Amino acid sequence: MRLVTGQGFWSPLVWLALAAGVALLAWAFWFRGRRTYKAGTEQDMPFLSGEQVPEGAHVGGQHLYWGFVEGLRPFVDRVQAFHTGFLGDYMTWLVVLLAVALLVVMLT
Amino acid sequence: MTIGIHVPILAIAVPLLGAFALPIFAKVHRNLRDLWAILVAAFTCAMVVALAVQVFTSGIQLYTLGAASPTATVVQGGFPIRIVLVVDGMSAFMGLITALVGLASLMYAFQFLKEEQGKTLAMTLFFLLWAGMLGMEYTGDMFNFVFLEVTSIAACALVGYRTWESRPPEAAFKAMAMYTVGGLLVLLAVGILYGEYGALNIAYLSSKISGTPLDKVALGLLLGGLLMKAGTVPAHMWAPDAYGEAPAQAAIVLVANTQASLYGLFRVLFTLYGGALSTPAVGWLVTALGTLTLLVAALMAVIQTDLGRLIAYGAVSQIGYMLLGVGVGLTVISSRPDFGLVAMKGGIFHMMNDAATVGLLFLAAGVVKRACGTKDLRALGGLGHDLKWTSGFFFLGALALAGIPPLNGFASKFLIYESSFRLSPILTAIAVLGSILLLAVFVRAFQGVFLGPRLRTVQPAPLGMLIAMGVLAAIILAFGLVPDFFVRHMVTPAAEALWRGRDLYLAAVLGG
Repeated sequence: MRLVTGQGFWSPLVWLALAAGVALLAWAFWFRGRRTYKAGTEQDMPFLSGEQVPEGAHVGGQHLYWGFVEGLRPFVDRVQAFHTGFLGDYMTWLVVLLAVALLVVMLT
Repeated sequence: MTIGIHVPILAIAVPLLGAFALPIFAKVHRNLRDLWAILVAAFTCAMVVALAVQVFTSGIQLYTLGAASPTATVVQGGFPIRIVLVVDGMSAFMGLITALVGLASLMYAFQFLKEEQGKTLAMTLFFLLWAGMLGMEYTGDMFNFVFLEVTSIAACALVGYRTWESRPPEAAFKAMAMYTVGGLLVLLAVGILYGEYGALNIAYLSSKISGTPLDKVALGLLLGGLLMKAGTVPAHMWAPDAYGEAPAQAAIVLVANTQASLYGLFRVLFTLYGGALSTPAVGWLVTALGTLTLLVAALMAVIQTDLGRLIAYGAVSQIGYMLLGVGVGLTVISSRPDFGLVAMKGGIFHMMNDAATVGLLFLAAGVVKRACGTKDLRALGGLGHDLKWTSGFFFLGALALAGIPPLNGFASKFLIYESSFRLSPILTAIAVLGSILLLAVFVRAFQGVFLGPRLRTVQPAPLGMLIAMGVLAAIILAFGLVPDFFVRHMVTPAAEALWRGRDLYLAAVLGG
């Protein structure tokens, strides 16, 4: 049950056993915690810096990961710049790919 | 003579016949059409599986069209003049991926597609695409790369047949233009090789190609055309357009279609040019393009607000991992075989894993679109309350795509990471970074679409669609929990067919 790579191995069963141990530890911590939580009360509402949360509010993933996306923005903007959506540009990049491939092949 | 010897041609001919006969049955009654589709799909899958078993147990299988005996590949004088199907470990492996994806797509399509929205047309195009992919994977003849055109036409039509919407036809037009130019590049290369050697048989050409300038031009053209059709950066932009706009049951087959082009690329590099590529430059080119593809696509996935396009960029990034694995293998094929074969196994194993994980994500996105009428992440939320199974499947697919253990994506990426590290640690660092980006992207998508308070009440997915997703989820779990079994019995024969299988391939076709 081991995937041998030549340098080491990967065993999902060992990983599952370790994960079960960690889960057990987490459950033990949780079990010893405070018992004041009540489902279906205001305790289930998202905490937005103490602001009043409107009924049915949903904090979507784009909000949670706002900082993550903004942190990557300088890199993403450069990559996005050549995704114009114009077919002519698609063709240009195909020509670039073809030129690189031909160059590498012809020079070897 | 038993039917067993005709299995290679039946696996292509049956779905082809299925495609052309399906509209006729639909004219009679839709139940007859559905019955025909089930029979054709079941027979095709049985043929593909039987052929894979034959290959994995007995070696390369041949089928010569028009000969007195299907195994008589050459005429007197040792010249292979007829069309030959050659199924080795790699072809059989690709056939299994195609069969799996096709089966899941059809099961899903029965309840996903609506009669008044071109169900018969979509199913016809699906069978045509299925036949084209299997034809590409089983052919031993460069001219039969004409199946590339069959897949192109069927794929574009599947993307754009919903003409009552504005964006699918536009995406189909872009893909068609790119496919046409890519197909012309491949055709030009085939013409050059035919002009030079007077033959189109891959084994015969491989025995003759010696690295002349014309051979190199043909290789450059083949690389350009097939890399583009595989969705490699920087010629990848058509892919998110097409995948994002295609209906879910078509998007999953488009992923397998991309992999068929990738297979064509590997066949060209390892078998057709295997005797002439003595320097690692082309291997480095494939490795570099793979690394660029996985990183650029992962970065583009970060800013997507449409669930379909987000998954599409995830799919393109996975192409990068496959290219990275096989590129590393190609780079070190003659100098460092110890980890080169491991890299190849990783890249090839990832093809199967990608088909299951990306396929599952596209099918789950289809359920979301069907339930809410939109895939806009800004308008979705709380669907996990009503789409419990779908949210579970999406989460499983997302974790597998990001390479989280113990799922299948981790097993193949682990092989790629370890082997690429030995070529250059920078490659591994970029590959791991790509996986981290994808994990964040897909966790964000899952949180946005399925978690949170219920924003609307939606109908759960029908049983047939859930079963189709369940099949892919089972593959993800099985390949993740016992990867060594599948690597030993399926991936290793495929990798070795490319790695050191050229001589066996030539001997099987040409004799000697």
